[in-house]
Amino acid sequence: MSFQKKFAIVIGLFALLVVGWISLEFESGEVPFISVGDLIDNHSRYTQSRFRMGGNVDEGSISFSEDKLTVSFVLRQGDDRLPVTYTSAEIPDLFKDEAEVIVEGKYREGVFQADNLMTKCASRYEEEANYKPITEG
Amino acid sequence: MYALLGNSLLTLSYIFTIYGLIIVGLHLWNRYERFLRSGKVAFISSSLLIIISSVVLIHELMVSNFDIEYVAKYTSAETPAMFKFSGLWAGMEGSLLFWLTILSVYFVFVIIQNRNQHRKLIPWVLITMGIIQFFFLTMSNFFENPFAPVTAGMVVSGRGLNPLLQHWAMLLHPPMLYLGFIGFSVPFAFAMAAIITKNLDAVWIQTTRRWTLMTWTFLSIAIIMGGKWAYMELGWGGYWAWDPVENASLLPWLTGTAYLHSVLIQDKKNMLRLWNMILIMLTFTLTIFGTYLTRSGVVSSVHAFAATDLGIWFFGFIIVIIAVNIFLLILRKDQLKSDNRLESFVSRESGFLFNNMLFVAMMLTVLWGTMYPIFSEAVSGDKITVGSPYFNRIMIPLGLLLLALTGIGPLLAWRKTSPRSLKRNFLWPVVTGLLAAAIFGVVFKIRIVYPLLSAALIMFVLATIVMEFYRGIKARRRITGENYFKALLSMVDKNRTRYGGYVVHIAIIMMFAGFTGKAFDKEADLSMMPGEVQTLRNYEIVYQDYWFETPETNPGKRSNHVAKVIALDVNRDGRHYSDMKPEKRFYTDQNNQPHSDVALITTLNEDFYVVLGDVDLDTGRATLKVRINPMVTWVWLGTLVLLFGTLISINVEAFFKKKTR
Repeated sequence: MSFQKKFAIVIGLFALLVVGWISLEFESGEVPFISVGDLIDNHSRYTQSRFRMGGNVDEGSISFSEDKLTVSFVLRQGDDRLPVTYTSAEIPDLFKDEAEVIVEGKYREGVFQADNLMTKCASRYEEEANYKPITEG
Repeated sequence: MYALLGNSLLTLSYIFTIYGLIIVGLHLWNRYERFLRSGKVAFISSSLLIIISSVVLIHELMVSNFDIEYVAKYTSAETPAMFKFSGLWAGMEGSLLFWLTILSVYFVFVIIQNRNQHRKLIPWVLITMGIIQFFFLTMSNFFENPFAPVTAGMVVSGRGLNPLLQHWAMLLHPPMLYLGFIGFSVPFAFAMAAIITKNLDAVWIQTTRRWTLMTWTFLSIAIIMGGKWAYMELGWGGYWAWDPVENASLLPWLTGTAYLHSVLIQDKKNMLRLWNMILIMLTFTLTIFGTYLTRSGVVSSVHAFAATDLGIWFFGFIIVIIAVNIFLLILRKDQLKSDNRLESFVSRESGFLFNNMLFVAMMLTVLWGTMYPIFSEAVSGDKITVGSPYFNRIMIPLGLLLLALTGIGPLLAWRKTSPRSLKRNFLWPVVTGLLAAAIFGVVFKIRIVYPLLSAALIMFVLATIVMEFYRGIKARRRITGENYFKALLSMVDKNRTRYGGYVVHIAIIMMFAGFTGKAFDKEADLSMMPGEVQTLRNYEIVYQDYWFETPETNPGKRSNHVAKVIALDVNRDGRHYSDMKPEKRFYTDQNNQPHSDVALITTLNEDFYVVLGDVDLDTGRATLKVRINPMVTWVWLGTLVLLFGTLISINVEAFFKKKTR
């Protein structure tokens, strides 16, 4: 066998190894992005324990613990509502009533314990037009 | 008035570019020299017009002409002057114009630099770059016009710049990134010219060597600077989160770095012609892909621009590039065969090939992880994201393998390495690496595999580089009798690619040291009342005071925001260390958008990092996120060394000497 062929085989094996490895990591690494309704109805059917969800912060539902480190709110998606808690000194700057958020974490006895809370990205603030027009155009 | 001027300039340059493409095309058909000259003039004209139109936009931003939608959207009357300037790349329309401007600067440079050389290649270089310019001009003229008039009636003051973008790193990061991204279009254009005209020796590679190095340096600095910005502004305490847009900038860097290495083999041995061609095509495509990713709204990210219908055009452009590239590769597959063949696994050539494989594997890992949410949504309807753990679990071991190769590769001989030379070159570095692992394991009691491995490899690589320098200097002194310093200088000057490369490798191991420090991060969420004291590791945090500042109380610093400020007294190992004043700002020109201003004490050893979550101005209760980040500074210092190393390789003096001669 020529050396070129040997080398090609080594490269092929390496590629296979990496591909196999990536797919293995995927099995364990994926966090399903599911709907609130799906989580409430079917959470026990999922093999994963961590979930990601998107929705809006229900108007007036935000409350803080006494030390201000834990925030509780109700996540609303369509007609589905789910209480969420999140513990951190750093609440995202854009987190407020009706903000569009993504939460990631675990579901325990009717409460979603988020360890990651993201607001829809900051540089996409174009929707919130806040010109100061003197005459409406 | 100025809007009209800017618009006219863009339209005019569009016409010039189209004319240039047609006339150079005709030149290829009839070979009339004056057609080529006319084409060059046309492209230079269109490029200059583009540059002038971006000067017009900058002018409008600086004088706050809110009759222009773009100016009203991204700046306000209160925006500090330097951020009015950076408004040029803060939004979609301006950033596309900025893209065009940098392309145009490069284009003019390429035309002038090659006015008397590479006669066969130049027409196709012009056409390639002209098509790229044409595409972006189409976007600017028809879809994202930066000079469009305001739609909301009269505007007193604009919306202001996103506070996240009001940071010095944002003055530098985007220009650097663009210089890096767009710079790859030059070697790409030469590659296209080479493959079309069948001039497939190493000439196109040698011609673009400096371009590639320079571009790569810009891109490297841009990526790190983006990290620095994220570290200072986003307030989560890290500099890299595997965010889709960060990944987009990393993808061409990975293949570009592979290319930087593999061209050395084509240069020396005339091997890997096909592979180098593929790498540069891939790199260029990935820069366009990265530009697309940030602008199409297909991935959501902190850095992405708002979603637009621009995506489909970019997507089409990418498909065309890929199709043309594949077609050319198939058409020229016989000419792309190499003269020489590999002979051994333990050779410099193989070392470079393994290095290339690792870079490509890393690129595919990142690409797959970035695109997976989109694929999964298309296939199953569920949007599945993979997040940092996936990237870290694959990229860390691949990175460590690459680190090992950084030490091994340069010491292997061309063709085949003898066992004797293996022992001579590797005995001491291996001993050094093992010793480092032993010291970290036993003395510092570090029992985590990756950091130990990383420490061992860093010392191993460092030892190989030191040894190379030492042996080179010794050999030179034997021949010339120069003193050590002089011998070092003349040795480096004789082989700048090699020794500049070693300096860059030192930069890389410094950065790896910084990455390794991440394993020892410490973080706490604190809730404190004034006068309270809390401790984290060997730090003691005393909450002293809190207050409120407005543009009236502090006009010099706060022209466009109000701020809640707290004062902390920080002691380290029982002794006073520093005062810190983290802030929570509210930007008044931005609907009072809040923004945390990080307080930071940085040393070579570790950073002490404090973010103010919020402070209740009635009771004084403050929530804080406090972090100890070991070794972060080494990442930033590494960047400086990297710049130094590439400057050695690029050989700036020789470049200017040649010019003035």
